[in-house]
Amino acid sequence: MFTARMTLKNSCLSKRKLIMLEKIIFKNNLEMLLNKISREYEVYAPARVGIETVWSLVTKADDLEWNFTNTDLSPKGFLFPQTECMLEFKNIPRSADGMILKRPELKEGSKALFNIRPCDAKAFSVLDLVFEQDPQKPDVYWKDKREKTLLLGLACNHPCPACFCTSVECGPHHPQGLDILMQDLEDRLVLKPLTPKGENLLTDLDQASEQDINLAAKLEKQAKDMIQGGLGLENIQAGSILDIYEHSAWERLYESCINCGTCTFYCPTCHCFDIQDETRGTYGRRVRNWDTCMSPHFTLHTSGHNPRGRRIDRFRQRFMHKFKYMPFKLNGALGCVGCGRCTQKCPVNIDVREVVNTINI
Amino acid sequence: MLELIEQIRDNARQLLEEGKVHCVIGYRQGSIPMRVQPHFAYSPEETDKMTWSCFCTQNLAKYLIGREEPTAILAQGCVTRNIAGLIQENQVKRENIYILGINSPGMVDYRKVQSKLPGRVIHEVLEENGHLLVRGPGYEEKILKRDVKRDNCYTCNHRNPVIYDQLIGEKGEETGGGNIDKVAAPWENLGPDQRWAKFQDTFKDCIRCYACRDACPLCYCKECFVDESKPQWCGKTVDESDVHTFHILRAFHCAGRCTDCGACESACPMGIKMRRLTSKIEKDIRQMFGFSPGLDTQESPPLSVYRPDDPEEFMLK
Amino acid sequence: MTEQIQFQPRITAFLCSWCSYGAADLAGVSRMQYPPNIRIIMIPCTGHMNPKFILQAFRQGVDGVWVSGCHPGDCHYVSGNLFARRRFVVLKNLLEYIGIEPGRLHFTWISSAEAGRFQEKAREVVHAVQELGPISRLVREIGPVREALRQEL
Repeated sequence: MFTARMTLKNSCLSKRKLIMLEKIIFKNNLEMLLNKISREYEVYAPARVGIETVWSLVTKADDLEWNFTNTDLSPKGFLFPQTECMLEFKNIPRSADGMILKRPELKEGSKALFNIRPCDAKAFSVLDLVFEQDPQKPDVYWKDKREKTLLLGLACNHPCPACFCTSVECGPHHPQGLDILMQDLEDRLVLKPLTPKGENLLTDLDQASEQDINLAAKLEKQAKDMIQGGLGLENIQAGSILDIYEHSAWERLYESCINCGTCTFYCPTCHCFDIQDETRGTYGRRVRNWDTCMSPHFTLHTSGHNPRGRRIDRFRQRFMHKFKYMPFKLNGALGCVGCGRCTQKCPVNIDVREVVNTINI
Repeated sequence: MLELIEQIRDNARQLLEEGKVHCVIGYRQGSIPMRVQPHFAYSPEETDKMTWSCFCTQNLAKYLIGREEPTAILAQGCVTRNIAGLIQENQVKRENIYILGINSPGMVDYRKVQSKLPGRVIHEVLEENGHLLVRGPGYEEKILKRDVKRDNCYTCNHRNPVIYDQLIGEKGEETGGGNIDKVAAPWENLGPDQRWAKFQDTFKDCIRCYACRDACPLCYCKECFVDESKPQWCGKTVDESDVHTFHILRAFHCAGRCTDCGACESACPMGIKMRRLTSKIEKDIRQMFGFSPGLDTQESPPLSVYRPDDPEEFMLK
Repeated sequence: MTEQIQFQPRITAFLCSWCSYGAADLAGVSRMQYPPNIRIIMIPCTGHMNPKFILQAFRQGVDGVWVSGCHPGDCHYVSGNLFARRRFVVLKNLLEYIGIEPGRLHFTWISSAEAGRFQEKAREVVHAVQELGPISRLVREIGPVREALRQEL
């Protein structure tokens, strides 16, 4: 259940003395709110491009899409780009200022992620624990962008068949990680500020009525009931790491996995990366790229030894990392928010719910 | 469809009961609409889950590589061609596999179904004769299967299995109706600038997940060229040049071996049409060398042989 | 008449050690003038050619690639160039299909005695690439502007 990790950044439910009141705005008045936000932030929101819903720059309220389950790729790329230059150097060995790694200026602008789903926002909170686990030495690239990002969440009214947020300490209206939580009531939105940053934006708006707040609560319950499949974690959480590791079911579960990297790249909480240096003439840079634990060379040592050289090892490690190792190391925080993207995108339809439920026995 | 499924299960069960094979590879029902999962049945009871439908887009030949024990596999036309190719390349021993051949009616591309219902959540898709019944919150739609088939299935010329130990059902129509030579290389009529624009547009969404490579039965190298680091031929970034290098080289590595099974496009989470490269290569190979892969386990692949009169027009004379 | 500084392309030539490299060597020894834009890489045989090499050259920013080997039937390793001939045509077709301008990638057969032919083909290749201008497609850019890099290299 919710323990110490609720005191994560941006989570304020238990501590606020001030009452943050819910506000209301009609969708045809959104331009005014968007303009206010755009003065400080570049606004991005899910928009339909072809059959997919992708994160796109938004300049006016008409660009906003309301009829979607979730975006194709998660928004983690805003704070953790797939390819990111970390350091630069002059590739001139004999020069006095050559071969010295320098960090480029962190000049990423402020971004507002409008209509982000609660699961993706919670994922940011989980990644905060990963990238800022050492307060003396946080990941500056993540931290810089995170502090400049505003999250306005859109609660889910229609979870899709692959969603299972309610089983992993999240939900269609989960507030964790958000600055504002919005509820779609067809022609209007109920907005609940969750942080001072969020509240400042909504000062000009009218207070929401009792009816609207009740309607929002009703929709929340309906959404939760719509979530069909879930997963059970009791035995996994209670059992020892070694017991889960040696579970006999792994032998049957791993076989269809083709070890691509689709699940890891679509997952909003996956965070592994590979660093390498590249040079081109006299310019050099140290770049980090998303990496995947499903890749055979992920754990290849220079000696040639590979502790996770078999497909079963890599498959098992992915699920154990998310549901066992991460909670163990991060004070109970699960490495999964139930968005369902891995299941939807997996080329061989490996369903995380089926895997976890089988291991949970 | 149901009779075919029964037949598949019966045959699989028999093979396992008689101990002829250690495992039967097929498909089972997926966990979300329009998907199936590869299924590995090691005991007769496990064959009860086996299924066959118009959503069977994964190429199961991939799972034969590296298997030592006798294995049975359910395979349609293109998959049997890949199996023949793998036998040719000594990755699979013919005596170790038992092929349950089946005619493919052409597989459905789930993205095309989704594009017919933009923005709608799909809860259930039922396959019926000739059409799909799609259900979601507050709606039910009928979609004709022939409108939503995979691109490569329209131009298929080998729907029946080319090599098999047992046939499930009957042999059916051999072709999908389309003419592959007409659609294989659409950019041939364009100038270099337009071609480059089309090429860039095709691969702009690639996230280097390698699902295409990992779903492909031709890609079985222990060390893929993308992992070579001394020197590094292909960077790991998502910069345009790295993405292009990966796809060009992978397409070239499949030259003369690709059976156009479409598993790459079906696996791609971004819906990238990488067959635009491989179908052009296969067209060249067909027209220049008169070779179609996977039809003969004894024939050598075209890039491993030569003829004295091979085309030389492209050379600077 | 205005004097224009003509674009000087950079061309990587993969020459097989037995025939084409010998021809280049002979041309040099015989003091034959050929364009200096050609940077030669010696390979044992065109059978060793791999599309990786050609793509790597384009990624580094060379404007043209030239591969040359023994005449069919004369290969020191008997059939290396015959395998290469098939692979070349597939790769050339593919690269031109995706939009690399025809004229950036060339293949020739030059035997070790044909120094004159080497000189002639070198001039043709440089001329063909010169017409097309600097390459922009497939080039790997990771840092400062191309022109600055071109000066350095």
